[in-house]
Amino acid sequence: MATAVGAGQSEWEVAVPEKPLKDKTYFENLKAKVIDTNLCSRCLTCAAICPGGITVVGNKVDFPDYETKCLDCGACVRVCPRFVYEPKSGLGDYIEFIAGRSKRFAGQDGAMVTELLVSAIEMGMIDRGLFAGRDEKWATEMFHVREPEQLAITTLGGTKYTFADVLPALKEAVMFTKRGVGIVGTPCIVSGVRKLQQEYPIFRDRVKLVVGLFCTENFHYDDITKFLQEKGVDFSKLVKTDIIKGKFISTMTDGKVKFKVAEAEDIIASGCNVCTDFTAVESDASVGSVGSEKGFSTVAVREENAKKVIEYIKEKGYADFGEADTSQLDFLIGHKKKREENIKGDR
Amino acid sequence: MKSMKKVVGPEYNLGEKIKTNVYAVGVAMQESVYPHTATVFYPRERKKMPDNFRGFILFDPDKCISCFNCSFVCPANAIRMKEAPNKRYYPTVDYGRCIFCHFCIDSCSGGALKATKIHDVAYKDMDEMFTPTEEMIELPEIIREDKKYVEYEIEEDDLHLKRTKGEDYLFVDVPPPIQIPMVSQCIDRASCIGCRVCEEMCESGAISSSAENGMLRMKIDTDKCTGCGLCVKECSMQILKLERK
Repeated sequence: MATAVGAGQSEWEVAVPEKPLKDKTYFENLKAKVIDTNLCSRCLTCAAICPGGITVVGNKVDFPDYETKCLDCGACVRVCPRFVYEPKSGLGDYIEFIAGRSKRFAGQDGAMVTELLVSAIEMGMIDRGLFAGRDEKWATEMFHVREPEQLAITTLGGTKYTFADVLPALKEAVMFTKRGVGIVGTPCIVSGVRKLQQEYPIFRDRVKLVVGLFCTENFHYDDITKFLQEKGVDFSKLVKTDIIKGKFISTMTDGKVKFKVAEAEDIIASGCNVCTDFTAVESDASVGSVGSEKGFSTVAVREENAKKVIEYIKEKGYADFGEADTSQLDFLIGHKKKREENIKGDR
Repeated sequence: MKSMKKVVGPEYNLGEKIKTNVYAVGVAMQESVYPHTATVFYPRERKKMPDNFRGFILFDPDKCISCFNCSFVCPANAIRMKEAPNKRYYPTVDYGRCIFCHFCIDSCSGGALKATKIHDVAYKDMDEMFTPTEEMIELPEIIREDKKYVEYEIEEDDLHLKRTKGEDYLFVDVPPPIQIPMVSQCIDRASCIGCRVCEEMCESGAISSSAENGMLRMKIDTDKCTGCGLCVKECSMQILKLERK
């Protein structure tokens, strides 16, 4: 991070990735290989790195006016986790599986995630954490949290079940940070961060903590809002959404709407149909509700930096810890493993 | 409380009294015939301003590289960049906000902004004080009534006005301020994504790129680089930095 004065260079080289379609731009390659084949997970790693303007149009990643605006640098295909897709599944490498319940924050699994990031800020490991909040229409917004007091915003907590533009916000945070950035994301976002870190040292040095979430599938904002409204959910009264034991529960100020998640199968985002990673195997620590008692969240500690944060939380007594049962995860891991069949193409 | 010092007036004898009184009457008569005023009879006279006086700002679009330095540095937020018909961005000055610090002129990397001695531009209302780029290219129209210019001179601890016939030049082409020679350098080569935005932005052609067998070779020509900082601002990974030459 700290660069010595006068360490600048006036000559350097950049590796240019190979193009499968030789006479097309890199974005057209990405479009042909990832977006049009419905492999795209909408992790927005490409949008984070693109100097031109890759963005989301409707439910798909797109680049309006790419004929004129694409600089053809190849950064998008370099960082796309699914351009050369290596599906990951299972429990992944881990130091330990534990169950935790935050004493400071309330919520389903968000509480433990918040606890991890806030403790990392308190330790001085990172100086900002990226949180997905929501507006009054339940569309996601990204927040940079620098002080634990900022978490008084109630819309920051709670699960949203729709995509958030985490990685474009991450790039912004990486440019501003002095000590490091902490980030929370679904397995696809974690893969995107790892790919960015693999390719560019600026992310390797400055992204210090990556917390993954257990994820079965995700929904596009337009689809899920339409679906929920058909089920009778009033967004002005909606307090929180949960998925508990295969049931999607929308809690409103005047009652609950429950239905089976399987009913929403048709609106699952296309990128999730080819995703086999349930536990975010590439993260530093991943968090989910499956595998622990009610009120507790399962935390898979995978890397040393996450282990340090957990030890700090134990030392300060910010959370209760218990045993986690990894066998409960097997069903959902197996459920996602089956999606390997959906991956088509020449890979 | 300390004892107060009593001020005693000078005591004159009769001869001295007559002498001082005659001197006073003499000065009064001299001033009534040929007055030594300390004020300037504007607009018939003008005070001669120093060559580097901070007045109305002139702009030369040919030298502007649209680097936005002037608008970034402006402490009063008086400078706004507006898009010109040729798709470039040129400064506009709101004189209702301008504090005439001329930081903009000092920061101008191309020397496109110039100071003039004009300090007396009148406006009918606040909206008129907003000066678009077109009105900054040439000196504003001024009705000159001045026949003399005035300079202050200090003689024997006394301030005197020196009046000279003729017009003071309002625009003096002072060379642009000396800037510390800076050069753009890459501080994190491995994080370059190879988008070549820097090459596209560079006005002086200092940044070049060449592709050879799967590698993109970037080069900053330190002799050509003017240190304007355009590439530093535009670099999407923020890995370019200005360093002293």
